[in-house]
Amino acid sequence: MARYGMALDYKNCINCKACEVACKEENGVLLGADKHRIWVGANEVKGEWPLLDIASAAFLPSQCQHCEEAPCQEVCPTHATYYDENHVVRVDSDKCILCSYCMNACPYDARYVDDRTVTVDKCTFCSDTRLARGETTTACQNTCPTKVRTFGDLDDYNSEISELLRTREHFSLKAHLGTKPKLFYLT
Amino acid sequence: MQVEVSRRKFLQGSVALSVIAGTSASVTNLLAGHDEHEAEGDISVTTKTSIEKAENIPFLCGICVNKCAGFARVENGVVTKLNPNPYFPKSRNMLCARGNAGIQTMYDPDRLKYPLIRVGERGDGKYKRVSWDEAYDAILNGTDKFKGLKQILDEEKDNRATIGYCNGEGLSKEGFEVLVGEKLGTPNYVDEISICLETTLGGYVNTIGTYGEADLNNADYLIIAGANRAEAIITPDTMDMFKRTKGRGLKTIVLDPRFTSTAAKADKWLAVNPGTDLAFVLALTYVALSENLYDKAFVEKYGVGFEDYKNHILSHKYTPEWAEKITNISAKDTYKIAREFMAARSPIYYQGRRSVFSKNDFQLRRAMALFQSLSGNLDKKGGIVYGEKLALPKEDINMPMYAQVKSRFDKEGIAIPAQKTGSWIVFRNMVLEGKAPYPVRVMMMRKHNPMSGVPNTKKTEEFLKKMDLNVMIDILPSDTTMFADVILPEASYLERTSPVASYGFLEPAIVMRKQAAKPLFETKEPEVIYKELAEKLSKPLWEITKKYDEDVQDEIKSRGEEKVYEEDGFNLADPWEKPVYEQNKERIVEAFGEEAWKILDEKGVYYPNMENYHKQIDANEFQYYPEDKKKYTTRKDKLKLVFNFKNLAKKGIDPMPMWKDEWNFKVPEGKFRLVTGRHAQFTQSGTTNNIMLRDLISTNYLWINRRVAEQKKIAFGDLVEVKSNIGKVQIKAYPTEKIAPNQIFMLHGFGGSSEGMEFAYGNGANDALLIEDKIEPVYGAAVMHETDVEIRKV
Repeated sequence: MARYGMALDYKNCINCKACEVACKEENGVLLGADKHRIWVGANEVKGEWPLLDIASAAFLPSQCQHCEEAPCQEVCPTHATYYDENHVVRVDSDKCILCSYCMNACPYDARYVDDRTVTVDKCTFCSDTRLARGETTTACQNTCPTKVRTFGDLDDYNSEISELLRTREHFSLKAHLGTKPKLFYLT
Repeated sequence: MQVEVSRRKFLQGSVALSVIAGTSASVTNLLAGHDEHEAEGDISVTTKTSIEKAENIPFLCGICVNKCAGFARVENGVVTKLNPNPYFPKSRNMLCARGNAGIQTMYDPDRLKYPLIRVGERGDGKYKRVSWDEAYDAILNGTDKFKGLKQILDEEKDNRATIGYCNGEGLSKEGFEVLVGEKLGTPNYVDEISICLETTLGGYVNTIGTYGEADLNNADYLIIAGANRAEAIITPDTMDMFKRTKGRGLKTIVLDPRFTSTAAKADKWLAVNPGTDLAFVLALTYVALSENLYDKAFVEKYGVGFEDYKNHILSHKYTPEWAEKITNISAKDTYKIAREFMAARSPIYYQGRRSVFSKNDFQLRRAMALFQSLSGNLDKKGGIVYGEKLALPKEDINMPMYAQVKSRFDKEGIAIPAQKTGSWIVFRNMVLEGKAPYPVRVMMMRKHNPMSGVPNTKKTEEFLKKMDLNVMIDILPSDTTMFADVILPEASYLERTSPVASYGFLEPAIVMRKQAAKPLFETKEPEVIYKELAEKLSKPLWEITKKYDEDVQDEIKSRGEEKVYEEDGFNLADPWEKPVYEQNKERIVEAFGEEAWKILDEKGVYYPNMENYHKQIDANEFQYYPEDKKKYTTRKDKLKLVFNFKNLAKKGIDPMPMWKDEWNFKVPEGKFRLVTGRHAQFTQSGTTNNIMLRDLISTNYLWINRRVAEQKKIAFGDLVEVKSNIGKVQIKAYPTEKIAPNQIFMLHGFGGSSEGMEFAYGNGANDALLIEDKIEPVYGAAVMHETDVEIRKV
């Protein structure tokens, strides 16, 4: 029993996509850009050569925010989307009817359809692979060259993530929506 | 903070992951590209890892030059996941996108699966599946389509130099050099160095005695010019650097003609004109010297000819104002950077790697090393360090001497020809132009793709067609493989145990790649191939040597044939009597003892005191060596900084770096300077068929300045013809402000011509078809950024 979250030292991100590949290989995710569970956001740099706005070219790693008040869970008519015992937002593929309400409701665009299981799928924090084997990191965290991510239990006062969130300034994505994301971007 | 999070706007799978700011048309184009892919059906090539326990076999990644360490998760003989190895100080518990995607290279459906013999014409892809013995036999005796080694060496009267050979980098490269260079006895070797970083290595080693390692964990000021560590990943530099950029301790100045992902992490990006970095460094040096900002005690103690250099720089008046006109970098910026650099506690002008940019590259690297020296930040924490390497026992090769072998000839236009590795361009061109003093008739090739890597693909094709015999050992049917007469399929790096390697510098370690899975299909480990091929060739080629080699004939008279054959190394297979794993064990036990071998065998990494030194700091970070055991300072009073290298003058090379007006950057009206480079999701042409990586970067695009593209009515995704003096290609356009109006850029490694590689074939453009085969004058290394092109919308 834990309340899992993730802190992202996003300024370390170099958009190398190691996390995306590790996620796909670990979790058996289909190929294709629209099947990513995680991704790195990048903008076309602003300005005109050679006066470019470096700050506009920041990289932002993203994925399911594992909201405490997840809109996807609220709208699911069949209760396919649920919180598991570790507060991870999961999908029960037996219950999913592919109505795609959750895809529309998610403000982070974190869901996609797995055509093999005919389920709306998403990031599981590697709950059914690495965590199930007793490992303590997600695939994306473990492989990251610049160590962007720290995964852990927000309820454990002594966990690394708790320590980070106590000591480093951070923000959440679209916090104003009241979704209470459990992904925290360290500044 | 405003953050855009929609995945559909961050569409992966294309260069323009970034085309948010583009027009809706360009987004549509992106999607169109994607729809094509999806039309093929969803590709399911990944395997979800099970929740059961599995074997974890230590391996060393082979997908690029870095050799990062990992553990392969193996479930029922199938590699399901590659995870980082937390014991190797160089790779710091990480695997990049390519490292993770290595599984897809092993399970690539287009793998070379069986030995093949050519039955059609060269390049048409018609091959016959044969047994290994038939393939070895074809190399020895030929077929009705091509001649074999026996006939060729007989006709050449045992002149072994008629055999040329090439090999790209890797842990089994040395074995191939032993087989073809030492055992078969030819000097005519070309490898990746003369199309890579030869001038960088040469410039640094000849100036400060090492290429060194930049201690980016502790530096506080970094000038990184023409090196793109966010996209051309080098471990540990990439990991160390980007944890500290963006106001977190490492002020970073990036020089690059284009705005790279590294530039995106910089404090300042300077859009330097291609090929003019040297003028910038000379101007930095001018400021440091004229304003007395340098470490006087340091250069006086260790410098050779420092006063000469000082006078040389000052008297030539290499001022920032002078450089501004050449480099496109303002004098104001140059003054500021020079002063900041010299005032910093631990400044580094990063050495860089990659290819040779321009004809002045050797002098550029010398000037960079000397500017670094002026700061005094060498051989210490936070500087360029020399470090240490753990010595492995040398393996003695019993190398035969052939009296009939002639020496290598690829020296035309080169001041200091590299004895072992030569110059790809000069070697190829002299053979083609009939300037070789004897016929070169054979190419023995392994894991090397000159059709993509060496400028001027047409000439490489002609060169390969001119040979009587081409042999290729590789894992995929590359563009070059398609010109082979005999193809030997090799086990991929996850399917073999490789010779142990020693990694040096700050935190030295020994590493070993272990076989994670049995070789697929009928492939074999390279060392097994070397052994079997050597066994096949040994006696028949010995007969030829006996026929023509008078020294050998004399020796036989005095000592008897059997003794000469065995004792003098003519038994070609003797280096491979034991399998690699056993050889590794013997070497490690001899050097470090049984316990060391146990650790290496289990963890893939060993260094003395590892069990005490290695500690986990947090979920992500590890300590490899305690601070006081890192090899920051190893040279001490042995340091030598060669400012004035007088001996170079004897070879016709400037003894001190200087600028020549012929190097000024100018592009004829209406043309563009072609710039090439790398991406973090690809390693040259070697990974273009990797379906996972292809999924991330579907093709290469032509970067063209957005305003120029607008004038030419070129929109994102439009097909554009690019034409140089030697060839033309077609490629899709990516208009962007990240490049200058008179330059264009394309990723290297695309545009495969081998139909055997389904995903790479015809995808994008091959820059080697465009880049003119020019060399720099010191080593004859290929110059990559001195080609101008025209473009037109198709």
